[in-house]
Amino acid sequence: MLQGFMTTLKSILEKPVTIQYPEQKRPVRSRFKGRHVLKRYDNGLEKCIGCALCAAACPADAIFVEASENSDENRYSPGERYASTYEINMMRCIFCGFCEDACPTEAIVLGDNYELSFTSRTDAIYPKDMLLEPVPEDGSPTPQKVPAGAFDRAIPLMQDATD
Amino acid sequence: MEIKKVDEGKFVVPIGPQHPALKEPGHFEFTVDGEIVMDAKVRLGFVHRGIEKMAEQRTYTRDLYLMERVCGICSHVHGTAFTLGVEKLAGVTAPPRAQAIRVIIAELERIHSHLLWLGVAAHEGGFDTLFMYSWRDRETVMDLLELLSGNRVHYSANVLGGVKFDINPVQTDQIRRGVDYLEERTQFYQKVVTTDNTFLGRTRGVGYMSREQAELQGAVGPTARASGVTRDVRVDAPYSFYPQTPVQIVLDDGGDLTARFIVRIKELFEAYRLVRLLLDNLPEGELATRMPRRIPAGEVISRVEAPRGELMYFIRSNGTDMPERVKIRTPSLCNWGTITSTAVGLKLADMPMLLAGIDPCFSCNDRMIRVRRAGEPGVMTWDQIKAGKGGWSV
Repeated sequence: MLQGFMTTLKSILEKPVTIQYPEQKRPVRSRFKGRHVLKRYDNGLEKCIGCALCAAACPADAIFVEASENSDENRYSPGERYASTYEINMMRCIFCGFCEDACPTEAIVLGDNYELSFTSRTDAIYPKDMLLEPVPEDGSPTPQKVPAGAFDRAIPLMQDATD
Repeated sequence: MEIKKVDEGKFVVPIGPQHPALKEPGHFEFTVDGEIVMDAKVRLGFVHRGIEKMAEQRTYTRDLYLMERVCGICSHVHGTAFTLGVEKLAGVTAPPRAQAIRVIIAELERIHSHLLWLGVAAHEGGFDTLFMYSWRDRETVMDLLELLSGNRVHYSANVLGGVKFDINPVQTDQIRRGVDYLEERTQFYQKVVTTDNTFLGRTRGVGYMSREQAELQGAVGPTARASGVTRDVRVDAPYSFYPQTPVQIVLDDGGDLTARFIVRIKELFEAYRLVRLLLDNLPEGELATRMPRRIPAGEVISRVEAPRGELMYFIRSNGTDMPERVKIRTPSLCNWGTITSTAVGLKLADMPMLLAGIDPCFSCNDRMIRVRRAGEPGVMTWDQIKAGKGGWSV
């Protein structure tokens, strides 16, 4: 019986293994695949060029992309075209990360936000303004007016991700 | 609970379809004489999702993700079985490093599945302390899987022709540490399961299945191995990286629930050994090879050992980028037959333990087969289906 009490006493002194979730949050791993983020360049231009390769790669048909023409007066992204509509249906998405692999400009990245909730089916479709990351400090919002010929190249030089 | 009267002194106790001992839908009818079960019937099919049909309308890459979602616990082996089958059809072999990573993930998944089962089975036996302990420790292996793949449950490690992610030295160390901790804990569980008198009272001699019976009813996986049947796909027909790292089959002659506990716990040790061995001898090289988009026409049967037993995939390709037919046979389906025979003569109160003993996965095994007799039309109308005509079986 004493041994039983000892076990109880020992357990009292142990640190609890549970996490008080909404107050305390456990950091996600670096490979975690959470909600998508559409990235911008440092000058504020969107990385997405509206090629819809992500929509083609998506195993769940969750992505819808519609592209429009860029001009130097109204420039959203480098290159000829930008995504005028970019929608992800979060109820269909299976967070596999295929869109991330398919993207030629590393525009779509699965972030670390896992707290997704909606009250209706239409709310589950995340439009472009919800997915786009905020404009960086020294950038300006899109559409931008840029000097002609400065951003004609759609696909930047890239290097392999480290993790 | 509704009780149907059958004949003098005998009753039929229906259990389910909601929450019959486990948190999945299945319906059971136990004919009882007092406390003793005289007959058992199983009815499945409440979570039929039409996955096989869906697979015919998707490309192979998309199917891979669909197949991973057949089961929530053993998602990786489903992906592996499908990938191995398609790779065989296409005549492509994944690079050795990819094969080794596949096996590492499969063994980590086995650890995860067996620890989950240990918790569930202990809970059904009223031993909630063991349930909480084993689920706490299961978090260790789930964290390891999250470290590797980013996800706790659907790792999606496979791509056609290889794997998606690599294992770096830092992760190797973390996996080793996690496995060391789990091994120490598993030794404690082995001691508890084999020496705790109260728990043994619920498992020893309960649900005895002889070797002949297991073979006759086609039991697979740990359920069969606990009856002394040498049946393990990893040993019988090694796939992926198993030929290079032979598995020592875990057998027990007990045939009862205690034996099923012992077999699964010993398999945990075997999985720890394999993970360590593979991490030490991880071959260098590429992670994936090129896969053709269109798979050459042909048929293939791909078998792998899931945590619950033998998992079989049949894939028929017609030369396009979509399969013509995919048939999945999950291990739980094979083991259901053993329930109906072993239940006879046991107390009604033993039924949850007996059900948990085969580690059933309800949503895995619900598929539909139609046996078409000569002269019958191949297409049925909606009215015929609703009327239950045409020999549908689930």
